Amino acid sequence: MNKQLSVFGVGQALFRNYVLVAILALVVVTMVVEPNFMTAQNLINIMRQFGPLVMVSLGMTFVIIGGFIDLSVAGTISLVAVVTITLIEPLGQVPAVLIGLGVGAACGFLNSLLVLSSGAVTQAEALFITFGMSTVYSAVALMYSGGSTEHMRNVTGDISIIEALGQGSVGVFSVSFLVFLVCLAVLWVFQTQTRMGRAICLTGGNKTAAYLCGVPVSRSIIAIYTISGFMAAIGAIILFSRITTASPVIGAGYETNAILAVVVGGTTLKGGKGSVLRTVMGVLLVILMSNCLNLLGVTPYMQVVLKGAILVLAIWLDNRTQL
Amino acid sequence: MEKHASECILSIKDVSKSFPGVKALQKVSFDVRRGSVHGLVGENGAGKSTLMKILSGVYQKDSASGKVIFDGETIEHTTPHESMQRGLAIIYQELNLVNTMSVGENIFLGRYKEMKGMRGTHTSARELLDRIDCTIDTRKLVSELSVSEKQMVEIAKALSFKSKLIIMDEPSSSLTAEELVELVKIIHQLKDQGISIIYISHKLDEIFDFCDVVTIMRDGQIIDTKAKADLTRDEMITKMVGRSIENEYPERPQNVGATLMEVRSLNTRKLHDISFTLKKGEILGLVGLVGAGRTEIVRALFGADKTEGHQILINGSPVRIKNPNDAKQAGFGFVPEDRKLQGLVLPFSVEANISMASFDKFTKFGFIRKSKESEIGIRQAKALAVKTPSTKTPVKNLSGGNQQKCIIGRWLENDPRIFIMDEPTRGIDVGAKYEIYVLMKAIAEKGGAVILISSELPEVLNMSNRVLTLFEGRITGEFNPQTASANQIMSAALGMTAGSGKQ
Repeated sequence: MNKQLSVFGVGQALFRNYVLVAILALVVVTMVVEPNFMTAQNLINIMRQFGPLVMVSLGMTFVIIGGFIDLSVAGTISLVAVVTITLIEPLGQVPAVLIGLGVGAACGFLNSLLVLSSGAVTQAEALFITFGMSTVYSAVALMYSGGSTEHMRNVTGDISIIEALGQGSVGVFSVSFLVFLVCLAVLWVFQTQTRMGRAICLTGGNKTAAYLCGVPVSRSIIAIYTISGFMAAIGAIILFSRITTASPVIGAGYETNAILAVVVGGTTLKGGKGSVLRTVMGVLLVILMSNCLNLLGVTPYMQVVLKGAILVLAIWLDNRTQL
Repeated sequence: MEKHASECILSIKDVSKSFPGVKALQKVSFDVRRGSVHGLVGENGAGKSTLMKILSGVYQKDSASGKVIFDGETIEHTTPHESMQRGLAIIYQELNLVNTMSVGENIFLGRYKEMKGMRGTHTSARELLDRIDCTIDTRKLVSELSVSEKQMVEIAKALSFKSKLIIMDEPSSSLTAEELVELVKIIHQLKDQGISIIYISHKLDEIFDFCDVVTIMRDGQIIDTKAKADLTRDEMITKMVGRSIENEYPERPQNVGATLMEVRSLNTRKLHDISFTLKKGEILGLVGLVGAGRTEIVRALFGADKTEGHQILINGSPVRIKNPNDAKQAGFGFVPEDRKLQGLVLPFSVEANISMASFDKFTKFGFIRKSKESEIGIRQAKALAVKTPSTKTPVKNLSGGNQQKCIIGRWLENDPRIFIMDEPTRGIDVGAKYEIYVLMKAIAEKGGAVILISSELPEVLNMSNRVLTLFEGRITGEFNPQTASANQIMSAALGMTAGSGKQ
C-alpha cells in the first residue's frame, strides 16, 4: 500500500470515510453551540441508546452483506422483550433470557425458511416477506401480552443479571458496552475469518456464481437471518433492562434505524461488501445525530425527515461510487 | 430514385452500428420490395436483431453511417413509438402484450381515447382480427391465449397502426406445426393486402416455403440478397456459416481414450432423451442454435437445474448429482455461459474469485487461512498468465479474457476430470482465445475431458474431437468434425436432416 499524499488522495480518503467526517462535524458544531452536550449525563445517555441499536444493526449487517434485508427485527424485538420479561418470574432470569434469545433466533430462522421456500432471490422480495413477518411477530407480541406493558418492578424473582445489564458498570464501561464488545469481536471474526462468513459475502456478491461454485448459498441465507434474529433478541433484552419495562410495540422503528446505520456506515445495499466495524460507526452517527438534534431543539418530526434524507443520500453516494 | 422509392417500402444503405469494442453492423444495405415477404437469415450474433432494433428505433445507427429510407422518407432519428406511427411494426420473439388485459385493450393499448371507450375498442379490434380470419373473442384476457393466438393479437395490433411493413423476429420458434400453417396463411393474406414482411428465422424450411427474397447476414455484414428461386439450400447454409477458417486454433487433442462418462436418458422440460458418452482425453462439442438445449444439457449435468431420473456413470459407476456441489465433488468443472452474471463476483478480488470453488483447500475447522488462499490465487494466476497488477485487484478491473482465465483457474485448482465450458471465448480478443484453446487441450491431454459449447461454429469444429448436434432439445447427429463438412453439421443443427452423419 503506497499512500498518496496528494490533495486528490486526501479528498478521496475523506469521501470514503464521509461517515467519520460527518460525525466529527456534527459533534464539533454541537459542542460549540450547545454546552450541555459535553455533560456526563448526556454522554451516558448516548452510551445507553447505543447498546440496543448497535446489536440490531450488527445483525442487520450480515443480512445486507448477504444481499438481503430484514424488516422483521422490529416485531422480533417486541416479541422477545415481552416474552423474556414475563418468563423471569415463573422460570428465573437465566432460563428467561435464554428462551428470549431462542425466540429471536427462531424468528430469524423462520424468516430464512420463508425466503428460501418462496424462492426469493431479490432484496425486494425479502423486503416484503420480512415486512409481513414483522407484523406477524408484533401481533403475536400484542396477543401474548394482551396489549399491556410489562414492568420489571412487578417481577418478584431475582433480576440481578438483568439489572446489571441495564445499569451496572465495570470500571468506566457499562456492562452492556462490554457485551457489545464481545459480540463485535465474535461477529468480526465470524465475518472475516471463517468459511461461513466468506460464504455469506460471496452469496451477497453474486448468488448465482456462488451457487455454481458449490458455495452453500441456502445455509448462508439461513445463517444471516438467524444471526439477525438472535442479535435483535440481545438488543431487546438490553433495551428493556435499561428502561425496565417492555411494551409490545417497543421494537417499532428499530428496523429503519438499523438499516440507516448499516448503510450510513458504508455497507453497500447491493450485498457482498461491508463490515461490522463500519456499522458501529454508522450507529454512532445515527445516535449522535439524534442527540445533537435534540439538544439543538429540532422537533422529532423534522428529525425523521432528516433521517430519511440521509438514508437516501447514503444510498445515492454508494451507487455513485460503486459504478 | 423516384421509381426506386415506389418499388421499395424499405431501403437500407450502408448502415453501420458499433458498440463499445464491437462492430455489430458494417455497411449493411438491402431493399425490401413492396408487398414481398423478405426472409432474413443468419447465425446467432450475425446482426439481424441489431439491424431490426435500428429500424424500430430501439438503437440508433452510427450517426455518420448510411441511411434508412422507409416509404420514400429518409429516417434519421426515430423511437419505437414513432416508427409504429409511421407504419413499421416489429413483432418480437418475446411478445409484448399485457397479460392482465383483454385482447381488444392490448391491440389499442394507450389509445383508449381515440377509440372512444371500450365499445369502440372492441368493435375496431374485431374488424382487425377479422381481416386475418381470426376468431378470438376480443374480451378474452391475453393470459388465457396460446402463443400463436398472442401472435395474431400482435399482428392485429400492427394492422391497427396501418403498418406497411411488419417485421417478424423468429415468429415460429414456439409454434407447433399446425399453428405455423395458420401463420403462413396470415402472412399470405397480409401480402395480398399489400403489406410487406421481413421474416427472420433460423428454420430454412420456412424460408424456402414462403419467402420471395432472402438476405443472408453473417458477422454484421450482408453476405448476399437473392430471389428464392436463384438460391439453393446448400448455398444458403454455406453463406451462413462460411467463414474462412484460418490458423487460429491449436491442434486438437490426440489421445482419445476409454469412456469417462456416460449419460443415459436425460429429460427435462426442454430436453428429450439425451444420451451420450464422453471419452477420456477428448473435447466434445455441442452444436445447436440458442434454445436448442446446449446450455440446458450442461446445466442439468452440473446439477444446476432440476432433472428427471437420468443416469450418469463416471468410469462405469453411477453418480448422483443434485446440486453444483455434488458435481464439484464428482470432478466437474464449469465455466458458465455468462461470465459476469454467473461466473464472477465482480467487486471481489482476483484471489477470492479463484479460490471460491476450493474452500476445503484453504480452510481448517471452518476458519480461513489467508496465506493458503493467497497461494492458490497466485499459483493459478501465474499458471494461466492472468494479467493483473495483483491478485488482490478487484476482478472487475480485468479484461474479459483475463476474467475468463480466473474462472478457469478456479476450477483447475480442483483438478477436474470433466470440464464444461459454455461459450468460453465469448467477448474475448483473439490472443486470449488462443490461450483458452490451449488450456482446453491441456485439460483433455491430462486425461480429463472437455464439453465445449460455442455459438462460433469454427471454434467447435476446430477444437472438438467429436461433435453432437442438437435441435429442439434432441440430439440430431454425431459427427467427426475432421471428416464431416460444416454444412452437414449445420444442417443437422437446423433440424433438416436426421443424423445422417452418425458414425
